[in-house]
Amino acid sequence: MISSSAARVGDRFRRHSGLVVLALALGLLGTMYAAFAPVSQADEQKTTASAEDVREGQQLFEGGCITCHGRNAQGVQDRGPSLIGVGAASVEFQVGTGRMPMARNEAQAVRKPALYDDKQTRQLAAYVESIGGGPQLPSGELRSTDKDVIAEGGRLFRLNCSSCHAFGMGGGALSSGKFAPSLQPSTDRDLYAAMLTGPQNMPVFGDNQLTRDEKKAIISYVQAQKGDQDPGGAGIGRTGPVPEGLVVFLVGIVGLLIATLWIAGKS
Amino acid sequence: MTSVHDHSSPAGEPTVDVDDPALSQFDLVREGARRDGVEIVHYAPRFPVPGTREERRAERRIATLFVLAGLGSLAFLVIYSVWPFEYQLGAGRDKWFTPLLGVTLALAFFGVGAGIIVWSKRLMPEEIAVQDRHDGASDPAERKLTAATLLSAYEETGLRRRPLLKGALAIGVAPMGLALGAPFIGSLITDPKDDLFHTGFGKGTHLVRHDGTKIRPADLKPGGIETVFPGIPGGATNAHADSPTLLIHLRENEAEKAIANSRKGYEDAHVGNFFAYSKICTHAGCPASLYEQQTNRLLCPCHQSQFDVLDGCRPVFGPATRSLPQLHIALDEEGYFVSQHDYKLAIGPAFWERP
Repeated sequence: MISSSAARVGDRFRRHSGLVVLALALGLLGTMYAAFAPVSQADEQKTTASAEDVREGQQLFEGGCITCHGRNAQGVQDRGPSLIGVGAASVEFQVGTGRMPMARNEAQAVRKPALYDDKQTRQLAAYVESIGGGPQLPSGELRSTDKDVIAEGGRLFRLNCSSCHAFGMGGGALSSGKFAPSLQPSTDRDLYAAMLTGPQNMPVFGDNQLTRDEKKAIISYVQAQKGDQDPGGAGIGRTGPVPEGLVVFLVGIVGLLIATLWIAGKS
Repeated sequence: MTSVHDHSSPAGEPTVDVDDPALSQFDLVREGARRDGVEIVHYAPRFPVPGTREERRAERRIATLFVLAGLGSLAFLVIYSVWPFEYQLGAGRDKWFTPLLGVTLALAFFGVGAGIIVWSKRLMPEEIAVQDRHDGASDPAERKLTAATLLSAYEETGLRRRPLLKGALAIGVAPMGLALGAPFIGSLITDPKDDLFHTGFGKGTHLVRHDGTKIRPADLKPGGIETVFPGIPGGATNAHADSPTLLIHLRENEAEKAIANSRKGYEDAHVGNFFAYSKICTHAGCPASLYEQQTNRLLCPCHQSQFDVLDGCRPVFGPATRSLPQLHIALDEEGYFVSQHDYKLAIGPAFWERP
């Protein structure tokens, strides 16, 4: 009797131990999946936007954005696009750099002094985030001073960015009055948000195309270039050898010409 | 010492016997100039009384300029040898290497130049010399004689009366000129065969990034663009400079438009909302990769050609006249982009066989 009940207990344990092993195995699998799965969704970390931020943001939205972007941010025909799913990163870029709100509908929204302060921008971002999700900016340091990282960023910049923003980061013309802006006033977060969201006519560079580290490398390169002194003094906007030749010709040769005339006149 | 101008014809007969021992050195100089057609009409030293304070001051000024030149040259040498010139990121002493070389070398040149000019203006004797201007043409008699000689030589050959020889000369000598030039011009010509019609893409070639990694549809967000290369050895190098291709992920509603506008034979060239077009502009071969993701235009930075991605990359502005060729793409069994086959049309600018 005793022995049989002990055997039953043992049986039950064996049955249960199978379940335990299965649970452990599944748990391990899940952990490994989380560790090795593509990071595209995982790294768009959720910030803790409080309900109050969302409420404040909605009030700001209804005060300043609703005319063009519509009652529920669904957009208004011929005025403004839908904001559903654009994400907090997009709001931070557009509002933080003063591009939004636009003064008028024209070829392109331009950078100007921001209308909303950082807190209000964050609240607006929280509201837009709450109605459709979308990409968010990572927190923390986005720049590195490691030379290898900067060099890698330069390679990526020349491959992906320089066709529009030019090698010297001064920007360039696009069609019908649009243009790729200069990167001189851009902060780290501006650059990251622009790559992540593709504002206006800029293509989107999602995290699977340019990984977070690659984006950081590009930012490191761009910011390092800004701090780089031009060899030879004046860089004249780093617009290249043609303007440099022009300066030498117009200023240098004309100067020599005047000097020659002066010497001849003294004879 | 002033000389009196007493010769009416500067280039005339020599009137001075150069062996005359009574002639001074200056007399000989003046006679030499006169025989070259130059008449010295005024000649005087700057300082008739040597050793004045004025003269010594001029001497010192010239010496200072030469010393300045020497110091500039020495500074140039020192900076050239010891100044750090290797590139450092940011502001550093290396940024002053080139400007300092320029400034010191300019100082050296200025010192020497200014020294010589001041020397000739302040210390050397002042002089006024006159030289008559020559007539441009040769002597009329000389011209007449030369013309007669040439004409006579032509008539002696009898070419005017013998047209057969004239023709034979043309037929015989012209090919000889070609034969001499052929090796030089021929070395510049190579037959490209049908290279211009082919790129690195073939049946089932993977579309890869610059670093050789393959691409899946999930890698590009809507509104994204990526330059892709054929996944073959050296595919991203200049050996396949005709192969760079733009992989564009259009938004849903825009992709519908693009699919509706598909050209005949290109209905199945796209994969979902992904389209691949040649990156090489059909005007002059620049990389036409300035992509406006809202207007869906591709711009070429060289001559401002614009291509409408939603309408088969038709040129809508600028000098380009042909659409960017589209690459037929598909997915392999693992879900990576591949090309179905090579471009159907030759990529890039026009050439003889493909205007």
